[in-house]
Amino acid sequence: MFFIISSILFFSIFQTCLSSEINLYTTRHYEADYEIYKKFRNKTGIKVNVVSGKSKPLEKRIIEEGKGCKGDLFFLADAGRLYSAEKKNLFQKIKSPLLNKKIPSHLRNDYWYGITKRARIVFYNPENVDFEKVKNLDYEDLGDKEWKNSIAIRQSNNVYNQSLVASLIHNLGEKKTSEWLENFVNNFYEAPSGNDRAQILAVAAGEAKLAIANTYYYALMLSGKKGKSQQEAAKRVKPLFPNKNNRGSHINISGIGILKYSPNKINAIKFLEFLVSEEAQTHLSTNSFEYPVVENINIPQILKLISKEFKEDKLTPVEIYGKLQTKSFNLMIEKKWN
Amino acid sequence: MFKTYYNSRENWLIFLLVLAISTIAITPLFSIIISLLKTLFLSSFSGDNILFVYIKNSFSILFFVTILTIVFGIIPSFLISFFSFWGVNFFKYALILSLAIPPYIYGYSLSSFFENYGTAFSLLKNFFPTIDNDIIPNLSPKTMAIVSLSFSLFGYIYLLSMTTFNNQLSNYIEMSRSLGISKFNTVSKVIFPLSRPAIFIGISLVAMETLSDFGTVSFFGISTLTTGIYNSWFIFDDIETSNLLSLVLLVFILCLFYIENKFQKKKKFHDSVTKSNQIKPKTLKGFYNLLAFFICFIIFFISFVFPVLQMIYWSIKYSNYFNNLNLLALNLNTLFLITTTSTILLSFSFFSNFGNRLLKNNFLTILSNLSISGYAIPGILISIAVITIFSTISNFFNIELKSILIGSFIGLIFGYFFRFYSIAFNGIKSNYLKINSQIDESGYILGLSKVKIFFKIHFPILKENTFFIFILISLEIIKELPITLILRPFNFETFSTKAFEYASQDLIEAAALPSLFLVLWTTILILFSSKYFLKK
Amino acid sequence: MKEFFKVDNATFSPNQKYFIKNVSFKIFNKGDIVSLLGPSGVGKTSILRTIAGLDKLIDGEIWLDNQLISSKGFNVQPEKRGVSLTFQNNCLFPHMNLKQNIMISKQDELNIIEVDQLIKKFYLKDIINNFPHEVSSGEAQRAALIRSIVNNPKLLLLDEPFSNLNKGLREELQVLLKKILKEKRITSIIVTHDYDEAFYFGDMCGVLINQKMIQFAEPYKIYHHPNSPEIANFFNKGEFIEAKITSNNQLFHEKLGVIKGTIDTKFKIGTIVKLLIQAEDLIHSDKSDLVFKIIDKRFVGTNFIYTLEISKSERIHVLVHSHHSHIHNIGKKFGIKSPISLEHVVCFEK
Repeated sequence: MFFIISSILFFSIFQTCLSSEINLYTTRHYEADYEIYKKFRNKTGIKVNVVSGKSKPLEKRIIEEGKGCKGDLFFLADAGRLYSAEKKNLFQKIKSPLLNKKIPSHLRNDYWYGITKRARIVFYNPENVDFEKVKNLDYEDLGDKEWKNSIAIRQSNNVYNQSLVASLIHNLGEKKTSEWLENFVNNFYEAPSGNDRAQILAVAAGEAKLAIANTYYYALMLSGKKGKSQQEAAKRVKPLFPNKNNRGSHINISGIGILKYSPNKINAIKFLEFLVSEEAQTHLSTNSFEYPVVENINIPQILKLISKEFKEDKLTPVEIYGKLQTKSFNLMIEKKWN
Repeated sequence: MFKTYYNSRENWLIFLLVLAISTIAITPLFSIIISLLKTLFLSSFSGDNILFVYIKNSFSILFFVTILTIVFGIIPSFLISFFSFWGVNFFKYALILSLAIPPYIYGYSLSSFFENYGTAFSLLKNFFPTIDNDIIPNLSPKTMAIVSLSFSLFGYIYLLSMTTFNNQLSNYIEMSRSLGISKFNTVSKVIFPLSRPAIFIGISLVAMETLSDFGTVSFFGISTLTTGIYNSWFIFDDIETSNLLSLVLLVFILCLFYIENKFQKKKKFHDSVTKSNQIKPKTLKGFYNLLAFFICFIIFFISFVFPVLQMIYWSIKYSNYFNNLNLLALNLNTLFLITTTSTILLSFSFFSNFGNRLLKNNFLTILSNLSISGYAIPGILISIAVITIFSTISNFFNIELKSILIGSFIGLIFGYFFRFYSIAFNGIKSNYLKINSQIDESGYILGLSKVKIFFKIHFPILKENTFFIFILISLEIIKELPITLILRPFNFETFSTKAFEYASQDLIEAAALPSLFLVLWTTILILFSSKYFLKK
Repeated sequence: MKEFFKVDNATFSPNQKYFIKNVSFKIFNKGDIVSLLGPSGVGKTSILRTIAGLDKLIDGEIWLDNQLISSKGFNVQPEKRGVSLTFQNNCLFPHMNLKQNIMISKQDELNIIEVDQLIKKFYLKDIINNFPHEVSSGEAQRAALIRSIVNNPKLLLLDEPFSNLNKGLREELQVLLKKILKEKRITSIIVTHDYDEAFYFGDMCGVLINQKMIQFAEPYKIYHHPNSPEIANFFNKGEFIEAKITSNNQLFHEKLGVIKGTIDTKFKIGTIVKLLIQAEDLIHSDKSDLVFKIIDKRFVGTNFIYTLEISKSERIHVLVHSHHSHIHNIGKKFGIKSPISLEHVVCFEK
């Protein structure tokens, strides 16, 4: 009797130790992601369990769960959020030469790794805006009086905007950014509302002249995946990659870190390494229209077409978005960015 | 100590158990009050402008939603109760269906319909190919939030005014006419004053729901008390601001709660003592008939048909999302949640009510009445309270309870317990009051034990309405968002969480299918129990 | 001269299944009071509701003050009829106090002094500012009564107005109400199942039994000359025995012997009829040869009522003043004066 019980217990513990599973906390919802998890399972036999949600509540939960946390990985969009999680000691350092080789250094640090990349750029409607005026546009020019009442951008509580401003603080210094912000906020065509796609649509509809949005939204609309009307609307709008004559356009990442008390560390590292494989990077790019982090990956045609002028800002490490996030947000609020 | 017929040790056991149940139901209230007190005494405020913006937005939304729900609720119920016109029997029940659509899901439909190059544009372009996007009106997010909340919440006022008009008033109306009072004066001096308590109760419910709403206002990006609480607690770790906002929110909600209670008492005096005859509706002809039909039709169409059609349109157009949805799991999860939670809630409520009835102990009764405060507390505060309570217990006893409680079904069902306990408790309480206590006494005299009295006498009488309470709890759980979102376990999704997450990722087309299923569930539940709604 | 109010061959129906047919009665003079009497549930309330215009008349006609107010397919609105109805359950508006309830109709036409006088007479002065849920049901009923009277309706309908009151108060208010109705010359119809009340109020009385109005006449006539045995049973006046008519002022019963009294000529000599024997018709006599066994005895304050067994299937009651010198016990013999002489002969075909 005792033998039976103890062997059952032994096997269940054994099972847990050797469980072919990893537990992923993620803030992303793309179908593409779920397909990747399936591909990973098919390849390695390791099942990916998912809890999705918003980053902060997930963070909170991970902290509260503490040592008992069963999570292995935390997948976040925006480097600022990754930094925040890092500062809260949620991640552990891992050693993976493969990851370090494949992922450029400005897109990672010791605790987390960028998996996909996106740029936050300007969009304009050639019918309303003269190409000559914008062809050498920098982010810094967006404060000019030229653009009064014509800029469409999301609210200040959006983390992508906070990262953009953080990068400006890093490159221009706090004082200059503060002055710029004051002018920039005055140029909004209306009180900010809606998501990135709504900003692009406002430009298509002629309500605003310039929109600031992430590249993948535009590509998504162009692809027709959002319906014919949106595709037609997107065709009326053209992308513009700022700062191509100096540091390059502002980019951001979606990235993953391994959680401190991860019960399935080895499998988690396997998963990370899978994500930077050609198969995974191509798949992600093709489906979500983000840029791969790894060099020489084939990107979808649409993305190629719109990114002809894309010069990436490789000098600003994405890590600093997190370091400067609070400062950036406070400045934005101070300058009355809704 | 117990004003009951015979003292026995059993009574003490029952007392302790009822005490335990009521205490569990009250804990979030205490937890929130304690954190608020800590903030009040231990820190000073920065007197932020932000606070003012949050309050201003919350209350301006509240103001407009209240007005709109009164209009949408009272006008059709007045028409349907007193007049006969084309489609009246259909609209009587159809207008209840507006409660099947949670406000945030209505919001998704509305925003996509009116956005630039959105559904409205696509539809019009089919008929008028040269049309320009400028024709589509640009609705501000605040307007859309107000419209969404109004069309999903007016049902409460509709139902309450229907029951008043139909069940309570016909005696008074006949009396008034018999005294020679004109029709107009009958309406203004008799009908409306007497309906006021019920209507005010409806308004309080709408107001509580509006102030507590999180899904809709966060989707539209509006800074309100709830989104402020969410942001400060979850994003900025600013517990102080979070507590301050919670304090403001709670104070207003408790005021509404108090008002609602006062009107419940007033309503009792106004309710007709004897059974009322049915009102004999006056038949409308010609223009008025058409007008009444049109009014009811428009409200029904906008509040139910429009969002459902929009969701069906997307589900068909983007049917590729169908493959990603594990429909079976989502349905099973929903079924699991509603059955487990309802069973727990109903059994605990039965026991508490029975205990109160038996023991007639003042302290216990007061505690039980406080325990229903949960429904006034916004879901988001409850989620925070649950996490805090379990953390505190864990830390205090130094046991690793956290992983069992937070992020597990236990935590989630606790959250539901706090929020929805009042539905079960009050529902059973009002039915219990209808059972004369002399029936219990006859039972005791005949030698029946307490258990037998409950199962053989009380339960058969209460059984019927228990089904309706189960439906009400299930409706709330299916529509619920913040608690489920924050406390749910791994790999556990419901239709509401799936829809919300797709929508916040700007994948509203993908949100359509889970929204559709959510509405399917709620619609079926409402249809099954429609007659109970109007009896209430 | 045309009558003030007329119900002509009317059919009433409280619900689709129950009908009261062929009801006809008239109120000739303004200011007269009619009482409608009958057991509970017979439909008296429905008749009042129809006259008030709240229910539809199935057939026939109702005329008030030379105007047709109800007929099949035609219905004057309740508020335009000038007909006032008090409900059995007073139906005071709960959101107004008693004073406001009373003053609610036609406020500009009311005579305030008169209203205050009425309030005083009905003993409501001290509580006139209370709300309906704060007063007793009797007080509420009185307020409802005043409310119906103050706007001087053409026709006042009262549905069991004193049912919620105890006996002492009831009699006092009956006197008061009748006086006021007569003073103000308000034509009224009062519905009740209590015949004392019906007889006190009604100048004329209509009896409704078994879905019909059986008799409409002065109270005296109804009590002493009921035109059907059902009325007699309703009043519980006495017992029916079978007797043979032997001449136009005499009947004969096997056990009771000769019974004297003026018989209606419509009955042929030799017919066997059901004859009503009332307790007050029989006189107790210890000296009489006509004796029967006492099977029950009842003390009702002023009198004793002895129930005697005449035969296996028949019995009679005898009223004896309680001042009578001795009390008889159950089982003993009891004598009644012979021959029996009846003031009113109430008999029906067998």
